[in-house]
Amino acid sequence: MTARTEILQRLRAQRREVNVPHPWQSRQRFDDLGQQFAAALTAVYGKVYLAASLEEASGQLGQLLAELGARRVVANDELLLSALDPAARWPDLVWHIVGQTPGDLRAFAAAADVGLSSAAAAIAETGSLLIASGPGRSRLVTLLPPVHVVLLPARLLITDLFTFIAARGGEMPANMTFVSGPSKTADIEQTMSIGVHGPKQLSVILYQE
Amino acid sequence: MTATMREFRDRATIAIEDVRLQTALEAATGRFCTARAAALAKLPWVEAMRDQFKAMRAATLANLAQHLEQFERQATAVGAQVHWARGGAEACAIVTGIAQRRGVTLVTKSKSMATEEIHLNTALAQAGIQPVETDLGEWIIQLAGEAPSHIIAPAIHKTKEQVAALFAQELGQTELPADIPALTAVARQMLRAKFLAAGMGISGGNLAVAETGSVVLVTNEGNGRMVTSAPPVHVAVIGIEKIAPTWDDAALWLSLLARSATGQPMSIYTTVVTGPKRAGDPDGPEEVHVVLLDNGRSQLIGSKYEEILQCIRCGACLNICPVYREAGGHAYGSPYSGPIGAVLSPLLFGLEKYPALPHASSLCGACKEVCPARIDLPRMLLELRADLVAQGLASPVEQFLEQGAALTMRSSRVWQFVTAMGRWGQRPLLQNGRLTLPASLNPVGERQLPHLAAKSFRELWRQGEV
Ligand code: SF4
Repeated sequence: MTARTEILQRLRAQRREVNVPHPWQSRQRFDDLGQQFAAALTAVYGKVYLAASLEEASGQLGQLLAELGARRVVANDELLLSALDPAARWPDLVWHIVGQTPGDLRAFAAAADVGLSSAAAAIAETGSLLIASGPGRSRLVTLLPPVHVVLLPARLLITDLFTFIAARGGEMPANMTFVSGPSKTADIEQTMSIGVHGPKQLSVILYQE
Repeated sequence: MTATMREFRDRATIAIEDVRLQTALEAATGRFCTARAAALAKLPWVEAMRDQFKAMRAATLANLAQHLEQFERQATAVGAQVHWARGGAEACAIVTGIAQRRGVTLVTKSKSMATEEIHLNTALAQAGIQPVETDLGEWIIQLAGEAPSHIIAPAIHKTKEQVAALFAQELGQTELPADIPALTAVARQMLRAKFLAAGMGISGGNLAVAETGSVVLVTNEGNGRMVTSAPPVHVAVIGIEKIAPTWDDAALWLSLLARSATGQPMSIYTTVVTGPKRAGDPDGPEEVHVVLLDNGRSQLIGSKYEEILQCIRCGACLNICPVYREAGGHAYGSPYSGPIGAVLSPLLFGLEKYPALPHASSLCGACKEVCPARIDLPRMLLELRADLVAQGLASPVEQFLEQGAALTMRSSRVWQFVTAMGRWGQRPLLQNGRLTLPASLNPVGERQLPHLAAKSFRELWRQGEV
């Protein structure tokens, strides 16, 4: 008998009819999703910048890149980012746009100063960004560089995990990560240390459209 | 590993005498407890949430076969390969087999209790494949050649000086400063190279979602993302009980997991893996494998111990447990320590190997109180104690006393005779009207018990005195 058959047979022999509880409904309410998102993310050492328009957001992005002293930036190819056309806007920087720039994405991302992306959604309660894989959206862009910068339109904010699940439609991407702060550890003497394997800095530019 | 009474006592004594370890344990568990309480306090409806979670976990286990089959169907539909393993050896063979077929010599691992449980690292090393743990705490204990001492903080027992010495040795240097940010940076650099070079990433799974065939991994460091994104092959090893039928269930699970574990509203990274990379994805693994591990779990379904399978390994019961807080994780002689370990280790690995663990508890009930699934750990500890006696695994003295007690209490005549004997026999031990135990049971001389009263309640009643 295969392992599969054996395990399933044993489980089936003990099967019982039970009442499945109704799904939990979100009870969370926030007056201002943006404020809650910013508060939650700032509490875990993320940085949040607020902008009134995409234009202002791109100004803040330019300033941020300058402050970071960024030279090499790797960016996901997302509708929102291409509207910005960052490579034309900041021609002094070395850009790698996923799927557009020829060359080794992985090697570039591993040596990049900043990874730039948008998000599929953002959860206000926990200050989490939903980063999904897909065409033009590399996993390594948001993971390997020491700084991850996210351009986030305010319309993508939702209340909590339950509202996200309720609104979720279609199929799952191969990889979806809820990012809720810069990488951290407390594994040595329970002392918090930022930036182990993932980005050491997470900056979100949250803008109104 | 095993935990007989003597082994447990000896290992616990070492821990209790280690002043530095005691301080570290007290600080860490205390901090986790405070953070957990604060996080739960922010959700006024959390008690209802826990009730619902328990009901969901119980309902899932009652119908586990169906959920596992659905998971398998969905995962296979998106291109993942699902494997089933009856035990540790079978699971190890599956994982090493995948590595060998792909010609892998280096694998990176993110933290996984399931792979600790089956000693996967030993199996990989024997097959000539180098496993590198990448959770900082796990890596530290891997370098030290030790076992984890806490489910979510495996290196709780190590000082920064010890970590600096281990890293220096690994780097081939004579010395490194014992500075935590600097040590973290060293780990980042050394492990980054491994992530990029590894031919395969191995992870556990905090849960698997049947509805979409997804495996969910929770980390703070980002190593979970690395092992599922950088290497060309990803293998997840996950216990068959860790299934959430739907995403609604998964959301409930995730809402309680990090809050109960570290007091975070959400861990830094919650990664959902649904099959290998799709057409058009710029990166990601070409192959994703999920190994569903039984290893004694299916035997528990339908038994009086089924409830233990509701556990989500948050570690809250460890942090609150007065025995764990003194004895530390290593005393338990199992990857699973604390109250959850005291119940799970004998059930998965054999009561005869872990006869001490059902006794490693004062039955104070704090674990049940904090468990997100409200698992009745004290009940199961008592059931296991009864099993020890029933299976003749208790010590001869305990066996004799238990059987004697049973005999005495069955008949009122015998009871009266024995208590009369006791009243007479206690005299040499009486001091100021209290029973003082002999020195062997009373090393500090402080233990006193109330004595047997001159007249029993029954006698008082009969004589009209009450
Ligand atoms: S038994 Fe409960 S408290 Fe303990 S680790 Fe499991 S889920 Fe957490």
